[in-house]
Amino acid sequence: MNCEKCQELMGDLVDGGLSREDKSTLSLHLEECLACADVRNDLQSIVAFCRSHRGEYSAPPNAEGLWLRIRNVIEAEMQPASKASAARQQGKSFWSGLMSRSWELSMPQLAASAAAIVLVVSLGTTVGLRRWDSARGTGPVALSPRAEAATRVSDRMWQQQQAINYWNQRVETNKVRWNQGMRDTFDRNLKVIDQAVNDSLNELNRDPHDEVSEEMLNAALNEKLALLREFSDL
Amino acid sequence: MNSPAQMSIRLLSTPLRFSGAHIFSALVVCAVLYSFGSPSANAQNRVSKRFPVGKNVRVELKNISGTITVESWNRDEIKITAALETPNANVYPKLMGECVSIDVMGDNRGRGDVGDVNFKIQVPQDSSVDIETRRGDITVSNIRGGLVRAHISTEGDIKLIDISATQVLAQNTIGDIHFDGGFSRGGTYQFQSTKGNISVRIPSDSAFRLVAAAPTKKIALGEFWHNGFKTLGDGRKFVGDVGDGRSSVMVTTFQGSITFIRR
Repeated sequence: MNCEKCQELMGDLVDGGLSREDKSTLSLHLEECLACADVRNDLQSIVAFCRSHRGEYSAPPNAEGLWLRIRNVIEAEMQPASKASAARQQGKSFWSGLMSRSWELSMPQLAASAAAIVLVVSLGTTVGLRRWDSARGTGPVALSPRAEAATRVSDRMWQQQQAINYWNQRVETNKVRWNQGMRDTFDRNLKVIDQAVNDSLNELNRDPHDEVSEEMLNAALNEKLALLREFSDL
Repeated sequence: MNSPAQMSIRLLSTPLRFSGAHIFSALVVCAVLYSFGSPSANAQNRVSKRFPVGKNVRVELKNISGTITVESWNRDEIKITAALETPNANVYPKLMGECVSIDVMGDNRGRGDVGDVNFKIQVPQDSSVDIETRRGDITVSNIRGGLVRAHISTEGDIKLIDISATQVLAQNTIGDIHFDGGFSRGGTYQFQSTKGNISVRIPSDSAFRLVAAAPTKKIALGEFWHNGFKTLGDGRKFVGDVGDGRSSVMVTTFQGSITFIRR
């Protein structure tokens, strides 16, 4: 017998509940093992003390209330942990049950199951595609061809305008050095180019797909840019 | 004996008599003196320079304002004559290899208003000519070189007469463009004006691919029109080949007309 087995039987030994055979085996071990013999002695002392002082302790004023409070505290601490473990246990049990379950199907049942799966997948695909298409139609990325053309033109206009603003600032700085005749000439010509730009823009507003107007607008903007660049050196 | 003071008093008191002829003569003399002595006439300086060159020479001119005339002559030299409105302008023609360069823009940068500089440039017939100016007319005549370029940033007419170059570029903002010459095989020709009429006078047997655009729809191809032309933008643009279409011609005007004339 080892110490672990000995301490398991120690309670029964003190209470006198051991068989003769277990008692003799345990006694042999207690004679050889001082540690286990000390445990037996301590336990016998505690039991003897309790028996001799039975009926002498005073009960609490409200024993039932005390137990109720203790139980509430214990349940409150145990509840979240038990809920989580219960959920895990439930999920685990569903999937493990599903996976471990064996299925026996006849040929008609098998065919009906296959047909049902095909039907469900087809419906799911159709609904998904319709939703995707409707999302494309209403999303910010999808534009009608007309709006797309207008956006393209306005983007180019914006880029050109940035460059035009830069050169225009330089021209305005240098303009004071020009004579009046040159200033008048510049303003007059800029007005003419702006008119060409506006004419092209008006045409594009009417028909955003008008390639001729788009080309003319591009040419007019380039010309404006060239004019500003050349006069910025003057 | 009279003292100088007495003589002066007598001279001042003596009445002077002039005939009408005297007065007229005096007025003419004053007018002539005034015209010679006026600031504008006084300021009209001239710069003239000659450069002996070979056959395939190139002339580059960057002017600010003034008229420019380029014409060919039968000499292997370039003569540049510049009439300066004010003596302030710097005009320094330079010969670099086979290129004569006049950069009025660069030579007068930061010097404010230098007035008009009017050029007359005489070159060998096979020269290439590259001219740009901010303002003023350009006339180029009788050139058979590789390039003829005339660029006016703002306003001024461009006349290209008797031109037979493989590359011709003419552009202005306000003003007419007139080309009179021939298109070489494989050559490129571009004429663009924002507010001006463009006329092209070429031989009837010219062969070229044409792209002509005018939002005003005033495009007259005359004898060069045929049904093979593609009409775009409701008549605002024509694209098509004339003959074998070996040269490329692009004509654009925003607020003017395009006219092709048989030579």
